Order: sequence, then structure tokens, then C-alpha cells
Amino acid sequence: MSALQVQNLTKKFKKFVAVDDISFDLKEGEILGLLGPNGAGKTTTIQMLLGALTPTSGTVSYFGKDLAKHRTEILEKVNFSSTYTNLPWLLTVRENLTYTAFLYDIHDRKDKIDEMIMQFRLKKLENQILNDLSAGQLTRVNLAKAFINNPQVLLLDEPTASLDPETAHFVREYILSQRSKNNISIIFTSHNMFEVEEICDRVLIIKEGKILADDIPTNLAKTIKSTTVSFYFEEENKELFIDYCVEKNILHNLTRNKIAVQIPEEDIPKFLGGMMQRNIHFLEISIDKPTLQDYFIQMAQTGQETHDKFETMI
Amino acid sequence: MNLYRIYGITLRYLYLLRHSYDRVTDTFYWVVMDIILWGFTSLFFRQAFTGDPNLSANLIGGLILWYVVWRTQYEISVNLLEEVWNKNLINIFVSPITFSEWIAAFMISGVIKVIFMLVVASLTAYFLYGVNFLAYGKYLYVFIPLLMMSGWTVGFFISSFLLRFGTKLQTLAWSFPYLVNPFSAIFYPLSILPLIAQNIAHFVPTSYVFESARSFINTGVVDPIMLWKSLGLNILYLVIAMIFMKLSFRKVLEKGLVKLY
Repeated sequence: MSALQVQNLTKKFKKFVAVDDISFDLKEGEILGLLGPNGAGKTTTIQMLLGALTPTSGTVSYFGKDLAKHRTEILEKVNFSSTYTNLPWLLTVRENLTYTAFLYDIHDRKDKIDEMIMQFRLKKLENQILNDLSAGQLTRVNLAKAFINNPQVLLLDEPTASLDPETAHFVREYILSQRSKNNISIIFTSHNMFEVEEICDRVLIIKEGKILADDIPTNLAKTIKSTTVSFYFEEENKELFIDYCVEKNILHNLTRNKIAVQIPEEDIPKFLGGMMQRNIHFLEISIDKPTLQDYFIQMAQTGQETHDKFETMI
Repeated sequence: MNLYRIYGITLRYLYLLRHSYDRVTDTFYWVVMDIILWGFTSLFFRQAFTGDPNLSANLIGGLILWYVVWRTQYEISVNLLEEVWNKNLINIFVSPITFSEWIAAFMISGVIKVIFMLVVASLTAYFLYGVNFLAYGKYLYVFIPLLMMSGWTVGFFISSFLLRFGTKLQTLAWSFPYLVNPFSAIFYPLSILPLIAQNIAHFVPTSYVFESARSFINTGVVDPIMLWKSLGLNILYLVIAMIFMKLSFRKVLEKGLVKLY
């Protein structure tokens, strides 16, 4: 059984269609990335998944039960954390977790709160009000709140935004460890594509309220045919290389003594062979395979074209 | 209804009282300052004009009873605003708490704060002016619940507007109760009001309570019909206010809770 099933979900604000007939599911223990440019409909979708926004049409079901009809029962097993919502800033860390524990009807409250405080490295901060905490510390409190009810489904809206690399790494590690320990299903949004590639099993790409793609991150990256090849030259070879690119009608990007070109992976040997014939020597070369970020940028720029390509491929 | 969840929200507002000087001031400071002000005013009026021995008791008693209305409505409307200011409404409503439990927590939180306020206000009135608020006797058990019902009604109406129109109407939380104030006849008898205002006051449940309170201080007699009228109107308005609030909440869910921020 899916942990979460979304069917034909639509949200209209007067004439504006924010989410347009989307359907997907979230398997047990799966981490699903929800990606899209700003204004794509991610937050609207997440709000509907949490019951904080009424859909215009469509259904949201958790564990086979309709959220609209079994709200309380479902929300006991679901939780949420977002960089864009706050907890009460004049309450201390412990007070925030205490009142939240009552909301989720947790009976071993003290033990659970102590556990969250330890796991999220909040011991020294437990009696400080949230107003006095840094962004990274607040994120840890938000996550402690999100994990307090041992959720079976967790919705994380950009949980690592504005975090330093060490804290972001800690958060990712914690999410992955909780998934493997408790088989939690997670919906994860982020604008950090490397992070998404690292932790998401599957990715949904949303644009203008529609799902453009639903696949594993590596497959999405593979749809980008061009590879970035970067060369480092001495000065005399640089001009020869640029002439070569112009002759071959290949776009090049020059930064200091590095020149990057975008060429299909299968054309690289032929391209290098041409350089040897012309006696163009380079000092260093690096070949970067397409990533999810490349896919995302292309998708954001071309939109429907990417969708059409993807549709043709599958 | 789950009592743990109601307790959780109530606890959230009690924790706030511990940390927020604004809330401490709201709960204790204003009522004490008003008692001091009206206490001296009543002493002056008594000496200069009337010589009425009940003047201080009527003015200060009326003031404290008015604070019951004000405090209960404030607890509902400002607690809602507090969640909007904190951007915390979404965290509450993605938890299993139901709308009824949330409302119940607001009402309980109001009752607790009213008790705090009454203790401080009664002691201030007694020690500064010798006015014994407990002199209303058993009628306090009737007056206070009736006034709290009126406060909840006003609070739910204000909150409904806040849910529909957001913080641009937040001034209602402080100003709206004063629309009811002149028709409640807190410090003066209803007969002082112009006829049209008297007719309006007949539809204001608090007016019956304040008239009864004054009657008790002056004559020792309370007409039970007045209190039944107040109860009837309170029940009617409270039901309408709760339905309006429920509909407003449904409306805000169509726009999204985050749209309130």
C-alpha cells in the first residue's frame, strides 16, 4: 500500500490554476523530491497534502484513507517542517516541544522530548527562547518538532535552506538514518539539486502546476544529451581552440584560461581527434556529466519542450 | 474532543504569559491602572456632587466586570493574532487538533486569565478604595459566566474578520469591544441613554448584567428575568458567532493558511 496517494489534485485561485490535475504516490520508506522553479505549485501542493488548503478537486489519501474524512487519525502519523513557517518565538525550545507533544497526544512526553533534544543537539539551548536562536538552530528545533510524533510520513519543505554545510549535512544524514531505521516516507523539496540527488529515491518535477517528469534523479540527468567539457590552455592554443569551436559551430564559454564547451557525450572522441589534427594542445581537461541541476535549468528554461522530449523518451 | 490537545494549546498561551511582557501588561497592568483612575474619579464625584456611598462600588465593580468581557474576547482574538504574527498557524493545523479543540483551548485560556485578572483587580480595589468585589456574592457565579459568554461572542466575531481579512484588520482586537461598551451601561443606568441607544441596548446581553449588578449594589435586589434575557441573547449570539467563525475558517482553508501571514 502507498503511504500517500494523490489523485487528480487541482487548485484554482479564481482563474489562476496553481496546481493542475496532478496524480502521484509515495511508497512506504521512499524519499520523493518535489522540485520546480519558484511559483511552480510545490508549496500549494504541500499545503493540500497537509490539509492546510482545500483542493478545488481531487483527493489526498494516506494509508488508503481519505485525508478529508480521516483528518485527525491521519495527521497523528504525519508531520511537517518548513523553513518558511516559524514556531512561537517567545517560547523556549523545551516549551515548544512540550506543547507540540500534547498536540500529537504523545504519552511518554518527557522521554520523547529529551530524545529529540539530544538527537538534534539542543541540550544547551533547551531553555532559550526561539527568538535568541540562529537560523541553523531554529531549523534543528523545527526538525525536532517534525520528528516528535515518530511520523510515518514527513513533509519537509526546504529543510536545509540557509543552513551552513555542516548542519545541512547533519540534517541529510539524520533524515536518511530515520528512513532506514523507521521506514518513514518523506516528501522533500529543495533548490539544492546535489542534495536532492543524494537523498531522493525519486523526483517529481513540477512546473506551472503540472508534473513535467517523474523519475529517479539519474534518469532525469541522462535526458540531457550534452556534456560539459572544460579545457585549460596556454595562451597560444586558446585562440586556435576558439577558431576550432567557431568552425565546428560549437558554443564556448571562456573564463580566464578555461574554456568550456557543451557537446554530446558520444561526440567527445571525434571532437578531441579534431583538436589533435589541428595541433591544439591543452594543459588540463575535465568532463562533467549532466546532473539533475542541468536538467532542472534546462527544464526551467524550456519548459514544455523538455516535457515533450521526456514524453517521447518514455 | 481530546483533552491532551486542548491542554497543549492552553499550555502554549500560558507559556507565553511567562515570557511576554506585553501579555503580563495586558493581564494585570491596565486593569490596575483603570481601577486607580476610576477609584479617584469616584471619590472626587462623591465628595463634589453626589455623596452617593455606592458610587465607588458601582464604578469600580462595573469596571472589573467589564474587564471580564474585555479579557475573554482579547484572549480569543489576540491569541489568533499571535499565531498569525508567529507564522505558527500552519504548524497547529497540520497537527491532529480539531477546530473545536482549538476554540475550546482559547475559551479555557480566557477563563484562566480572567481568574488571574479578577484576583489582582479585587485585591487592588479592596486595598486602595475599600471596595469589596466579592460583595456581589452568589451573583458573581451568574454575572461572570454571562459576561464571559459575551466576551467569547465578541472574540469569535473579531477572529472571524481576522481570518477573512488578515492582519490589516487587527485593530479590531483592541477597538471592537468598545462598540459594545456604550450600550452595556457599565458606569451609568440604561435610562441615561437616548431612546434609540436604549433600544439597541436591549439587544446587548451585557447591559442586563450591568443593570443587575448596579441594582444589587443599590438595592440588594436582582430581577432574574434580566439575567434570563442576557443568557438567551448570549446563547443566540454565541452560536451565531461560532458558526461565523467556522465558516470563516473554512474560507481561509480555501485561500490557504499561509495567506494570512
